[in-house]
Amino acid sequence: MSIDQESLRRVAEAAVSVELETEDMTLNIGPQHPSTHGVLRLVAKVDGERVSGVQPSIGYMHRGYEKICEVRTYPQITAIINRIDWTSGYANEIPFIVAAEKLMEIEVPERAQYIRLILTEMARIASHLMFMASYPLELGATTPLMFALRERERVLDLIESVTGGRFHPNFNRIGGVKPAYGSGSATRKTIQDLPQGFLQGTRDTMDAVLGTCDEIESLVTGNEIFVARTKGIGVLPPDVAADYGVTGPNLRASGIRFDLRKVGDYLPYDRFDFVVPIGQTGDSWDRWWVRLEEIRQACRIVQQAVDGVPSGPLQAKVPKIIKVPKGEVYVRAENPKGEMGYYIVSEGGQGPYRLKIRSASFSNLSMLSWILEGVLVPDIIAIMGSLDFVLGDVDR
Amino acid sequence: MTESPSDTAASAPEAISTNPLFEYAARVAAAVGASAHTVDFDTIKIRVTPDQWIPALTTAKHELGLVHFSYLSAIDWTNDVEVGDPPSEEVEERFEMMAAVADLTDGRIVHFVTDLAKEDASIASATAVYAGASWHEREANEMFGIDFAGHGHLDNLYLPTEFEGNPLKKSYPLLAREVKPWPGTVDVEGMPESEEEAEAPTTTPSGASTENPGR
Repeated sequence: MSIDQESLRRVAEAAVSVELETEDMTLNIGPQHPSTHGVLRLVAKVDGERVSGVQPSIGYMHRGYEKICEVRTYPQITAIINRIDWTSGYANEIPFIVAAEKLMEIEVPERAQYIRLILTEMARIASHLMFMASYPLELGATTPLMFALRERERVLDLIESVTGGRFHPNFNRIGGVKPAYGSGSATRKTIQDLPQGFLQGTRDTMDAVLGTCDEIESLVTGNEIFVARTKGIGVLPPDVAADYGVTGPNLRASGIRFDLRKVGDYLPYDRFDFVVPIGQTGDSWDRWWVRLEEIRQACRIVQQAVDGVPSGPLQAKVPKIIKVPKGEVYVRAENPKGEMGYYIVSEGGQGPYRLKIRSASFSNLSMLSWILEGVLVPDIIAIMGSLDFVLGDVDR
Repeated sequence: MTESPSDTAASAPEAISTNPLFEYAARVAAAVGASAHTVDFDTIKIRVTPDQWIPALTTAKHELGLVHFSYLSAIDWTNDVEVGDPPSEEVEERFEMMAAVADLTDGRIVHFVTDLAKEDASIASATAVYAGASWHEREANEMFGIDFAGHGHLDNLYLPTEFEGNPLKKSYPLLAREVKPWPGTVDVEGMPESEEEAEAPTTTPSGASTENPGR
């Protein structure tokens, strides 16, 4: 019997070492796969478990915003652009409004700037908490979802209490933020400001979010499966990231300490103390860690801002019918997903002649073919999830 | 500079001392041999000829430290528009190509622009300089019909393969509106203190009007 087994083993070994004739298989992922965060289709060529090439196919969410904005007025456009990146709708409005204000040379009151800043950072926290929920889920860990969404709900409630909207606040007006009952109206003089208890509620929520960050970190950092699936997976070198126009946490995870909040002047970030976290290697783990750290820093900014909200008007004086003087301007802001910018070409009318929307996820996703070259099939999900894109932000 | 009325570096001497971007823009323009440059509202535009397009971007990336490719797009300048408002004064019919590149240290972003003729618009592809230009060029190709020589696979990014036309051209109509007109009255009450405006609905594009609210 033992001889028989020995010869069987030899035969089996011989069979394994034979060069097999294999063909590349085309694997279609999406457009409805849960990890595609919307409707993204990947056409992957796979050689066994190894990916030899990926062709992303986008456009399922294309809504033609750049065209429709040419026939809309500036106040109408803010409602449209909320829908670009719906996980942080509020943050989408900021660069557009600031760009229009630059062209009109309007000085925004301090109080409005602080409210904008607080809500922008809350949108960042909400967006990153969504990532904290979805990314481990895609890798098989369900518990962080419960922790992250619980706190995200509290942050969204705060945004809703001020703006009236959870995802699409449409709260900014050219010259400031929206007073709840319409400014200057003779019959409705009441101008609602921040709701009662908002500042204390924000302080409590920020403490809770910071606590949840610790919980999520302790849940995930020591999780061997999570670490094995993310450490060293999907390494993005800094020069490739810059070449493809990758921005935001994905860029910083590659070790480039660049944050438009530090170098830009679109909101008064220079008054607050916060650090820009960067990653060491640019792998999926770093992209995860940078976002976790950014939630903590955003909480710090909000905590400092609610302590220093100045009093004063919510809006600058603006004409009733907004007409933006002729000119061209590009304003970009550090959105949760990366650099979001608007190039406004105004010809002096009530709407822009041309509005170019530079969205973060579009450029972040454009290097997908590069980063997925040669990875294993299950790593596609691990890498794609770590890039944290939203298809509305890709297709516009 | 038909479309940029305000200060060029030469015509605004008092601003040079206050805004460091003027000096920076002049340096970039000199390095790439630009024909003109403007700094409007902190937006730096460096105008080059189509022949200089790739050399200018190469210089920007390798010598000026503008390593980050932000975006690439175009503006369709025309006096005869199908949708929206026409330009306020007569413009030269052309595509204005623009590529925005940035550094990752000081937060400076530079827009390189060049003019292309409307007929058979074509320019060399920047994908060899910045890999990120690939998707942006595909987008500009399907939206404006601009050809990028040397790109290789300019297939549609958003639109179906059989789609005809270039939607972001000013000559392209908004089809949804032509197929189905705006269905009715907008139920918006007029602002109390602006009754004289509410009586003239054509002046309030978002307000009480039986016209399409999008003008």
